Amino acid sequence: MSEAAAFRGAGKVYRRSHLGRVTETIGLLRLDLKIRRGEVFGLLGLNGSGKTTAIKLLMGLHLPTTGEVEVLGRRAGDVDTLARVGYAPEAAYLNAALTGRETLRLFDALARRPARGREERVARMLDQVGLSRAGDTRLSSYSKGMLQRASLAQALLHDPELVVLDEPMTGLDPLAIQEMRAVVLWLRGRGKTVLLSSHDMSEVERVCDRIGILNGGRLARVLERRDWEGAPNAIESIFAQTVTRTDGVGPIHLA
Amino acid sequence: MSAIRAVFSYTFKEHVRHRAWLSLALFGLALGGGGLVASALAQEERARMMLDLGLAANEMIALVSVVFLTVHLVLREIESRAIFLILTHPVRRPHYLLGRFLGTLAAVGLGMAALGLLHWGLLRLLGWGGGGSYLLAWLCSLGKTVVMGSLALLLSLALTSEAAAMSFSLSLWVLGHFTAEMHFLAEKSGSAFLRTMIEIVSRAAPDFARLNYRDVWHAGLPTPAWMGAALIYVLGYSAACLALSAQLFEQKEF
Repeated sequence: MSEAAAFRGAGKVYRRSHLGRVTETIGLLRLDLKIRRGEVFGLLGLNGSGKTTAIKLLMGLHLPTTGEVEVLGRRAGDVDTLARVGYAPEAAYLNAALTGRETLRLFDALARRPARGREERVARMLDQVGLSRAGDTRLSSYSKGMLQRASLAQALLHDPELVVLDEPMTGLDPLAIQEMRAVVLWLRGRGKTVLLSSHDMSEVERVCDRIGILNGGRLARVLERRDWEGAPNAIESIFAQTVTRTDGVGPIHLA
Repeated sequence: MSAIRAVFSYTFKEHVRHRAWLSLALFGLALGGGGLVASALAQEERARMMLDLGLAANEMIALVSVVFLTVHLVLREIESRAIFLILTHPVRRPHYLLGRFLGTLAAVGLGMAALGLLHWGLLRLLGWGGGGSYLLAWLCSLGKTVVMGSLALLLSLALTSEAAAMSFSLSLWVLGHFTAEMHFLAEKSGSAFLRTMIEIVSRAAPDFARLNYRDVWHAGLPTPAWMGAALIYVLGYSAACLALSAQLFEQKEF
């Protein structure tokens, strides 16, 4: 089996009922995509293009309306498989009442890692993400950058085979972006599969082996590294030609 | 089991570190002090009055805490999206729910125990010596708290509105003290529809008459059969609520 994840005709329709009126929004439409083991795959798209929906289907937070999603050879959301997957969402959704160390202890236990050696694993990870000194401070006192690090730490703590990063560069300062890039490359160097979604084309271009462009819930195009390597601004121009706004917003023209 | 333990542990810490916890403790102390002052008005029955007031205050505080905490227990984690990171780990959803519930019960139980000890200490100072009876009355209050916690959790998942879940929980708590009256009303009702509706509500609402040891304790300690039936009722009712909650929670998307 060479795929880390596979979407087979996967679709998601959100149904909302308000005062007896049902409205439907398409999150994702018949997505067929295979993510190979050991690659860094980037999902590019505008807001509402389906990037986060695809990731939520992969992580079992959503159920597909059509088709199926597989992760490491098992149905997405399979509880045992989740022990082999790490996930960092676009913002650090962590419990502010806990300290950094308690947070990592919690996720280490949830990842079914043995209690023996937990303290060492947690201390090592805090050190690796630069939070050693803040380990015993509650997350409510952390800055945004520190929270992002704690979120990244919980995703990597159990040494997962597949790491899913939802917009990991959003809101980070230039130094933190550089560090995040180094993390992705370090993961690739260790043979891990990385799926990341982003708006930032230059970052995706630097770290990804392949890129999928989502447009209005559909996979519009998949690019291989050779498609953009050596051609300046290739991704930006391919992206601009591929996507169209589906949110009803027109272009800005100030002239 | 380790997932339940981990969720239990962080839920317990989360509640104990919450500022509302301190306010509740202060409120309990104020009630205890108020009871002491009020009981001074009835010199002959001072200990008895202090006993009734203290137990009722402890039960009320526990009820308000458990309903408030369990109604927010999962909904707040959904709102803050903290649930994303928990459920994208290898945690079965019923285990998450059980860990959250037990962690909340432990926090509320700890508060009840602290207030109970303080109250019992005051009673000892007033010369009251019914330790065994006090413990049983306290356990019955704890039983009601467990039942109300599980019911509030179920309602929060079924209604997905904190305000609605809280009002329904408190209404069912009130109805739970009048199950015999509801059966009587159903019997006397001329309308078959009304009779059925009252019967359904009275069966769904918890039956707190089974846990009202305080009402009968002056007749002496209850029989083991009474205590066994009360325990089975608490465990059965809570297990049914938790099983239904787990069923609802399994179908949720985030």
